[in-house]
Amino acid sequence: MGFSFYSVIEAALLCINAVAILNEQRLLSRFGESGNQYTTGYADEFHQTGGAKQQLLTLIRSVRTVMRVPLIAFNIVTILFLVLFG
Amino acid sequence: MSSRGPMRLGKNYPHPPSQQQQPQQQQQQPPSQFYQPTAPYPAAANNYAGDFGMPQPQIPPSYGGDFNVPQPPPAPSHNAFFSPQTAFYAPPSQQQMPSNQAMPGVEYLSNNPLFNVGLNVVEQGMKDFTGKTVNMLPNEMKKSISSIKYYFAVDQAYVFKKLCLLLFPFRPRNWSLGYSADEPVPPRVDTNAPDYYIPLMSAITYVLVAGLVLGTQDRFTPEQLGMHASSVLVWNIIEICVLCFTFYIFNVQSKLRTLDLIAYCGYKYVGMIAALSSYLLTHSLFVYRCSLLYVSLSLSYFLVKCLRLQILPDTGGSQPYGSNGNKRRIYLLLLVVILQPFFIWYLTRHLIVD
Repeated sequence: MGFSFYSVIEAALLCINAVAILNEQRLLSRFGESGNQYTTGYADEFHQTGGAKQQLLTLIRSVRTVMRVPLIAFNIVTILFLVLFG
Repeated sequence: MSSRGPMRLGKNYPHPPSQQQQPQQQQQQPPSQFYQPTAPYPAAANNYAGDFGMPQPQIPPSYGGDFNVPQPPPAPSHNAFFSPQTAFYAPPSQQQMPSNQAMPGVEYLSNNPLFNVGLNVVEQGMKDFTGKTVNMLPNEMKKSISSIKYYFAVDQAYVFKKLCLLLFPFRPRNWSLGYSADEPVPPRVDTNAPDYYIPLMSAITYVLVAGLVLGTQDRFTPEQLGMHASSVLVWNIIEICVLCFTFYIFNVQSKLRTLDLIAYCGYKYVGMIAALSSYLLTHSLFVYRCSLLYVSLSLSYFLVKCLRLQILPDTGGSQPYGSNGNKRRIYLLLLVVILQPFFIWYLTRHLIVD
């Protein structure tokens, strides 16, 4: 119950770090995707479960692309805070 | 320059020196929302119907906290047809009282004219200050402010009806949302519309009631209040993130906006307060558990009825009912509905001692 707002920020930072560290090749081989399916998954309502997988992979890829550089800054700031203020 | 239907956010705020609206409505990138609207609507050239935050120059702000330069209070507009802006502010009957537009519901203070003068001076000063600060904000935040203002357009009748509905939703009634000119109608007019006032107030009340319960058990310290407040915020954030993530992964395009979802997830605090108050009054575990059960049931029923119309597709008969898109939506609806009683139980159980 003793959740503070800082713990949310910390958890979010760790999760995004985890997503950024992923190795795409191993991930895709594990999922069994060919890796170059840029089909438009969102328009097809009758898709079975491929839609969810596609969305997840798209999300992971976009998070990695967007957050690559800002993540460096966030990590440096967090490390400085933790070192200075405990 | 296409504006989309239910998700159309407000236009630019006019700068206070220039009283006329900006003729060029540049299309801003919408803030990152997870839900796309169902169909884009053609842009109207000077259509301000969807702009809840920007009043027509004739209508004086009567709900307090408007960001525009104060206009001289003119005659109230008598629109022949209903438009969201007039409903957004107080109904015309209230606008006829000239000295009474400082805050809603404070009419009894207007008997003293000097007090009113002072109030008006303070209000003008505040409006100048907030007008300056708000116009320094980027356009994105202005849009967000205007779209959030929609959720605070409530009045006492709405709050009362909504609270009764949350605690007893079992009467047969019409649950559909009202729309006007393809925009959802503000909560002041439509009882079914979601709002932020009740969730916000009930969350704050929950923190206070939790402090009260702790006080009766001699466990109260002032840090507990802050801890409860921050955990309310954190659990809200977690819940909204999980739900938005699930919506995105399952690729469900629905009319439900993120802001609406935040409102619907905030209604559980009313139930929590009810359960905690029943425990506070009787100090009996049995009563607490019964009220917990009843509150969970009524909240689930309420949410199913409200969200069913928004998440599940309109049954146009084109798809068979058990197709995959529908199944996902039903599961998603069930997820939303089941999370609420779980949170009610989880957030109150540490306050209950045998």
